[in-house]
Amino acid sequence: MGATLTYENSFVRFTRWVYAGVERTIFMGMKFTFPGRFVSPLGFLGMLTFVIFIILGITGALLMLWYEPILDRAWHSVENINDTIPYGFHIRNIHYHASNAMVMMALLHMYYQYFSGRYKIRNEILWVTGIILGVLTILEAFTGYDIIFSERAELAISIAASLTNSIPVLGPQMREAFFGAGFHDFVLRFYAFHVFLLPIAMLGLMVVHFPRFLVFDVPMVMAISGAIMLTGGVFPVGLGLPFEPEVPPGLTVPEWYLTGLYAFLRTMYDKFTTGVAWPGLFIFALLIVPFIDRYKKFSWKDRPIITALGITSLAQIIVTTYWGFYIDPDRNKALLERLVIDPIFFYLVMVLLVPLSFGFTYMMIKLAKHAEANAKLQPKKPPKGSINISQKWLYVLFVALLAFQIYLNISAYYAVLQGMKNYSLFIIGIMMLVFAAMFHVYRYGRARAKAPPPRPVPPTPAKPAAVPAPARPAPATTVGEVQKPMASPPPTASTRVSSEQVAQLAQQQQQQQQQQQSKQHTTSGGTAAAAADSSTKTEQTSDQSRFTSAASNEGPDKKTL
Amino acid sequence: MAQTPPAIGGRVSRRDFLKLMAAAGTVMTFAPFVDWGKFLPNPASNEGQRVKAELADGTVVNVNTFPVNHSEVIIYPKSEDATLNQEAFRTWQLIRLPPELGGDKNDASAFRAFSMVCLHLWCLWKYWPEEGRKRGECPCHGSMYDPTNGQAFAGPAALQGPPSNVLPYLGLEADSNGDILILPPTWDPNANGIVGYGRYLNV
Repeated sequence: MGATLTYENSFVRFTRWVYAGVERTIFMGMKFTFPGRFVSPLGFLGMLTFVIFIILGITGALLMLWYEPILDRAWHSVENINDTIPYGFHIRNIHYHASNAMVMMALLHMYYQYFSGRYKIRNEILWVTGIILGVLTILEAFTGYDIIFSERAELAISIAASLTNSIPVLGPQMREAFFGAGFHDFVLRFYAFHVFLLPIAMLGLMVVHFPRFLVFDVPMVMAISGAIMLTGGVFPVGLGLPFEPEVPPGLTVPEWYLTGLYAFLRTMYDKFTTGVAWPGLFIFALLIVPFIDRYKKFSWKDRPIITALGITSLAQIIVTTYWGFYIDPDRNKALLERLVIDPIFFYLVMVLLVPLSFGFTYMMIKLAKHAEANAKLQPKKPPKGSINISQKWLYVLFVALLAFQIYLNISAYYAVLQGMKNYSLFIIGIMMLVFAAMFHVYRYGRARAKAPPPRPVPPTPAKPAAVPAPARPAPATTVGEVQKPMASPPPTASTRVSSEQVAQLAQQQQQQQQQQQSKQHTTSGGTAAAAADSSTKTEQTSDQSRFTSAASNEGPDKKTL
Repeated sequence: MAQTPPAIGGRVSRRDFLKLMAAAGTVMTFAPFVDWGKFLPNPASNEGQRVKAELADGTVVNVNTFPVNHSEVIIYPKSEDATLNQEAFRTWQLIRLPPELGGDKNDASAFRAFSMVCLHLWCLWKYWPEEGRKRGECPCHGSMYDPTNGQAFAGPAALQGPPSNVLPYLGLEADSNGDILILPPTWDPNANGIVGYGRYLNV
């Protein structure tokens, strides 16, 4: 192994040369980290959002080759992509589901940053640009499903146009200027917004929004991509019916990220107030959050009012989103009766959610603090044992995953041949997930190979074979496993460890894991680099701990393995 | 700048004067581009002159031949492009009112032209001349329109607040031959209205 690492072929040398050249570019300001072990994805949800944005860019560019943004051709060209063009179905489904995933990911990203108070430490600009990016993301997704020009798209366009018209004074002029004068202009202009104006604005904002520390976790990226394809396979998106102005449209609701807004519109109250002012107020409130949050601390437990506001907004979003979807199923009632939401009832619920959410938040904070205090009083529980796989079984696992991938490849190909497009997409999704697992195994194996070999322990002649069971079995076995990393001497070494040493090591390992966990907590999931650094530091602290460093390194791994 | 004493007696410091000139120059440089905003709205909808109202087959609507209590679809503004003529936003319902509403007069006052785009969700409504109906009805959600002024009196469009409860209209007049002419419209809620959005009735 050592030999292969030192050997440099021309490709490696070229890569190094390019990498050295990057030093002169803007990228040097960023610190890219490829985590060497599993880290919580909560810290790099933003990077995942960006990856989905790239997926959308690629699939969208491919769709542009076939889509025609013309009044009488738009829907039929989408139909052509979906039904005739080879793999058009796949590309379109990935594009659709990735758009939903991006909105969802951006929302999760925002709420994680909100509750963890990450917007404070001079990150206000990041937060504000992030909110604008989030709004643009939703607009981007919205213009995307409008240009299919199906019945639902037409309803969405009509709502967008009437909301713009309802803006006081300049509304009609704005609609005329931005959307044009009729369906022909609407489709063409929404297309221009969708494929160029909004993405370019988003890219520009992203340049400002990117923090200097970035985490690119290959397994997680592949898992997200796989999940998108898998969803596309299970819930393939339909075309809807083409819009025909003489035909009554079916009852449709917008995409899930807009049903909240739709619920407000369905109260039939003034369009400007419900459709423009309320969402505008919500966005404005989000924008100013970092400037009104005056708490000195970061944790959600130490910022009760801000946390309660966040919980309130979440509760209201969930309730309005559901309400926007809900249409009275009783077909005997008049359509209007089924569609219109009683504004008094609606706003009353919205207002009631405020004290409920505040109460809920205070209860949660109380419980969390109580649990924290209890944890300090009680003796520490033994850390959970981690899964350790020997070199041999790693290879077996690799071969098995590869064989599974070959099988999946064949079945995906057959599925395409037999016209089972969504099944094929589903299988490809699984393939991506298998790749994620494979990369994780690879990373795990590499980390073990890099771990220094164990120090030779002098054999204790007193009791060579019968090692009495240590006090805590789980950590002890891990220590035994650690004794045989990939490039280590034969596994019999483990049996030579005396029981005394085993217990000692177990204790050390336990301490170290706790130490590391606490460090990880303070450095946060987002800066995995720092966490990795801390683990390497502890590796160097003492000779004894070298035994355990590999095991503690892999501590959180077991979740995915 | 904060240290400089305030100008006394209306005298402007040399530096401030320079700044003023620079600002004025910048404004002057970019002033012509304000008018370039006209690039954005579609100019096709702004006909500058009166045009004859034509039916789908190309015949001109005439007060002497057009039946009473009857309606036809007209395309306005008409385009050379067949695709653009399919545009819902260019379809108008030309109605000759029933006799009891003044439809038997031999001038333009017997005619009405309203945008066919329903103000609720943009389906295309049309005029029903049958006895007991004599009103515009939308097939989608049942909005009903008064043929004399285009006001919605039933259905979801009637529940919308002004201006979204009155249909946009086209001004009509008849020439000496009795041909119906469409007057140049002003697309504003306070004038002809905005297609798909509506107009204020009191104007």
